[in-house]
Amino acid sequence: MTWLAQAARIAGRELRGGLGGFYIFLACLALGVAAIAAVGSVRVSITEGLEREGRNILGGDAEIEWDFRRGSEAERAYLASLGTMSEIYDFRSMAATGEGIEADRALTQVKAVDDLYPLVGAVEIAPDISLDKALAGNGVIVHPVLADRLGLEVGDALWLGTRELTITALLQREPDAGGDGFGLGPRTLVSSAALAGAGLLAEGSLFETKYRLLLPPDTTDEALDVLRAQVEVELEGTGARWRDRRNAAPQVERFVKRIGSFLVLVGLAGLAVGGVGVSAAVRAYLERKTPVIATLKTVGAEGRTIFAAYLMQIGVLAGIGILLGLILGVLIPLAAAPFIEAQLPVPVALGVHPFPLVEAALYGALTALIFTLWPLARTEQVRAASLFRDASGPARGFPRKRYMAALAVAVLVLIGSSAWLSGIPELALYASGGILAALAVLIGAAWGVRVLSRRLARTRLARGNPALRLALGAVGGPGGEATAVVLSLGLGLTVLAAVGQIDANMRAAIDRDLPEVAPSYFFVDIQPNQLETFLDRVQGDPAVSRVDYAPMLGGVVQSIDGTPAREFDHWVTRGDRRISFADTLPPGTRITGGEWWPEGYDGPPQISMAQEEADELGVELGDEIVMNVLGREVAGTVTSFREVDFSSGGIGFVLIFNEAALRGAPHTWLSTVYAEQEAEGQILRDVAGDAPNITAIRVRDAIDLVTEALSALAAATSWGAGATLLTGFVVLIGAAAAGERGRVFEASVLKTVGATRGTILTSFAIRSALLGAAAGVVAILGGAAAGWGVLTLVMEAPYAFEPVSALAIVLGGALATLLAGLAFAWRPLAARPARILRAQD
Amino acid sequence: MVLSLRDVSLSLQGNAGVVDILHDISLEVAAKETVGLVGPSGSGKSSLLMLMGGLERATSGAVEALGHDLTAMDEDALARFRRGHMGVVFQSFHLIPTMTALENVATPLELAGVADAFDRAAAELDAVGLGHRTGHYPAQMSGGEQQRVALARAAAPRPDILLADEPTGNLDQATGAAIMDLLFGLRDRHGATLVLVTHSQELADRCDRTIRLVDGRLDRETRRTAEAAE
Ligand SMILES: Nc1ncnc2c1ncn2[C@@H]1O[C@H](COP(=O)(O)OP(=O)(O)OP(=O)(O)O)[C@@H](O)[C@H]1O
Ligand SMILES: [Mg+2]
Repeated sequence: MTWLAQAARIAGRELRGGLGGFYIFLACLALGVAAIAAVGSVRVSITEGLEREGRNILGGDAEIEWDFRRGSEAERAYLASLGTMSEIYDFRSMAATGEGIEADRALTQVKAVDDLYPLVGAVEIAPDISLDKALAGNGVIVHPVLADRLGLEVGDALWLGTRELTITALLQREPDAGGDGFGLGPRTLVSSAALAGAGLLAEGSLFETKYRLLLPPDTTDEALDVLRAQVEVELEGTGARWRDRRNAAPQVERFVKRIGSFLVLVGLAGLAVGGVGVSAAVRAYLERKTPVIATLKTVGAEGRTIFAAYLMQIGVLAGIGILLGLILGVLIPLAAAPFIEAQLPVPVALGVHPFPLVEAALYGALTALIFTLWPLARTEQVRAASLFRDASGPARGFPRKRYMAALAVAVLVLIGSSAWLSGIPELALYASGGILAALAVLIGAAWGVRVLSRRLARTRLARGNPALRLALGAVGGPGGEATAVVLSLGLGLTVLAAVGQIDANMRAAIDRDLPEVAPSYFFVDIQPNQLETFLDRVQGDPAVSRVDYAPMLGGVVQSIDGTPAREFDHWVTRGDRRISFADTLPPGTRITGGEWWPEGYDGPPQISMAQEEADELGVELGDEIVMNVLGREVAGTVTSFREVDFSSGGIGFVLIFNEAALRGAPHTWLSTVYAEQEAEGQILRDVAGDAPNITAIRVRDAIDLVTEALSALAAATSWGAGATLLTGFVVLIGAAAAGERGRVFEASVLKTVGATRGTILTSFAIRSALLGAAAGVVAILGGAAAGWGVLTLVMEAPYAFEPVSALAIVLGGALATLLAGLAFAWRPLAARPARILRAQD
Repeated sequence: MVLSLRDVSLSLQGNAGVVDILHDISLEVAAKETVGLVGPSGSGKSSLLMLMGGLERATSGAVEALGHDLTAMDEDALARFRRGHMGVVFQSFHLIPTMTALENVATPLELAGVADAFDRAAAELDAVGLGHRTGHYPAQMSGGEQQRVALARAAAPRPDILLADEPTGNLDQATGAAIMDLLFGLRDRHGATLVLVTHSQELADRCDRTIRLVDGRLDRETRRTAEAAE
């Protein structure tokens, strides 16, 4: 092992020279590691927070939920026997400043609670009085946003339905907000007793009832599973939905997981970009060290001693880079903590988590190893003779087999660990495959552009045009930086282009999904006896262009053609469905199979079903669907299929019965009103003035909410892109800096033989354009492929190539690189050649 | 006068402060004259040659070539002036590593707008005995071969002034003699003025005049006498 000791001594001596020339190496590694560590820390903080706070977020150990109805007495008695039970109603309504058409109104998400609420956690309100006191009698607590919107303060009156309430406090923190998902309006908290008789919770109205259970403190997760199974058997077919403390905030969890996994992908891509910089830096360093290596060989050092000596040096440097990255990766989330915590509806404490740091360090070390091995292994091919001649030609060819094997193992370990550690194995595998494919294509493109340049240099076109020939020579000739530049620029631009494609597609999706003529309002909970007055008001208005309306009631699918609902895995067969009935074919409906029942049909119940869902469930004409409609079993035969477009913003039901079958069941009416924007305010005042229980949802507000959620995703995308861009830029500056020595030397020689600065700069520009074109073409193709992959496989959204974004990013990136390169060359170009050439002696 | 230097001094900023390299040098070179620069290592020969070629800026004094004041020209003007007027062979050749021998030689011809640049470059390489190595890159050639390519590159545009730093330094006796013949042929056939830095007594003896530098100062000037010429 003396050779190892010798290697260590050599490494120590060489490291005395300091870190000069390694800043790019350090920056590339540190940035990549920092990005991954930061994303990982935030993700772990959130998931740990969700786990730890699951009980608080849910507001209990378990929750059973029904749509459109209260649990029956028997059901409530059963649930109360399982533990401490609290009953909560959750629904949308209009909060009003008064009665009649003069009042101001705003949509609110009402939570009506019993005395036991909240079972866990505490509601924070201002002024700091007890919750019992605030909700006593006609007391109501409102979110400050709602109070602002209506211009109300504590002590003022607030109307919900026909009930006048008094604002006793403003809501500061709602412990179970994260579990409720994203509501359409600000929160109002009121006691159920105060709402009795307000006409808001009539049978068939749109509301949810939640039964929260507090179990004995020693209830294990296994016991929870057992209980869940029991409850599901007991309440089968009633439409009850179960949730427990382990998945308290599924929406938030899904959201965080999506963004988190996407950012890990971007981080890995960033590390790959950084890896190209690492590789270029190592190669440049080793090239500078060629005389040293040759001398060491001349005096008797073996190949493995030299390999080990330089591996140790780079190992020490990689350690420093990784450490810097980890420090940054810890500091960035802590610095951004107030901002991130404010964005999340669940309590999260951003902190230092060892696991993501270990993960990031591992990725960093593997990346450094992978991108170092190749150039390092080639030092074995440095012949001592290169000392005695111009050593500008680097070592060529493939490293020896054992190094290739080591390289393959390192790559496999990196891919394997990212697949395993990220918790999103498929995605990590796709990403690794994508990055490897991109690298391979880029190496091919670099090779192609070099061969092409060599060919072009021999043609008539290049002769007599020294600027062009110089550029072609620099790209195609020996010892050029072509491969490094194409790789780093190409990979950086590919990631950017991909992010651009994803971003542009998400924005386009928002636009595409917005119906061209969206209704102004959804009116829901219109009672049958209110329908006529309502229609009189809206249909007679010249500003209203269209009014659609349909009856609506909740039903639970029990079985389809004899197969119990639970055996299907489809949203239609899970929980309550909103269903409708009609006598004549609703206007604008297209029948795609079977026949609509005759007018006035009064026979056995018939069903018209949406074609798409029927196909998914395998329903055929003549099949029998049994439904539980508010406690009554209704069996209908499917006699027709319809085309239903849920994205048009209009009314669409999967299941429509013939009118006679359901006319007697309690139901409410739903209506969409298409009106001119100026008339919207007056329509709302008139309708709600007549019938305060009717809830109006402004479609524009709902769309804004969706847009907001997507913007958060887009913002995360931009942050990821920014980090990658930064790494890519550092790599490119590194490449430009590494190439500078050579370029300045060439410029000096060319000046000596009569070239002006203009000619020389033109040549540099042509060179950048050649390399930029090769990288850009690959980036556009790669970005499109990656964008397609992420959208269709991860986001399950359609993908369309967005040429403007792709071209803008690629051209912008190439141009920025060109300018950076020219800026590097400018100053030395002005110097007298002798100074530079002397330094080369 | 083809070249004229008046009271030229050169100081450079070194690591350990300012280094005075050349002191108050005045000399003139006439058309078709051949001047040899000799002196011990480090005496400033290469630096003086750089000043004559406008590749280095004098700290003080005036440098004129073919009636143009080199100290007053900017980099582009100097570059254009060198086209066709001046060829330089560096002590360490300075070939462009990404270009083949042929391309290296053709480049100044192209820059000067010569139509058949590549044919002439090939002929020039032939003349220095490298007709068979036109497609090789500098890294694939020996030091002497690289030196000959550098000479071909300097001589190809038929410059009025050829500045050469130890043009025979790396060559064996026979090749060195051939290169010398080539250099003097340039003067005889095309009327070029030659300034050569050399350690070779043989080469110095063939020059019209030898100038000896010691510690950056003109030490001694030897003119070849008429009888020595015979
Ligand atoms: N950039 C520089 N900074 C400071 N001093 C320098 C610099 N370049 C050269 N010198 C010094 O200037 C002096 C003259 O150098 P020059 O290369 O002209 O010598 P030379 O006569 O050509 O020597 P040789 O015969 O060895 O080639 C030397 O002492 C050298 O150390
Ligand atoms: Mg010298």
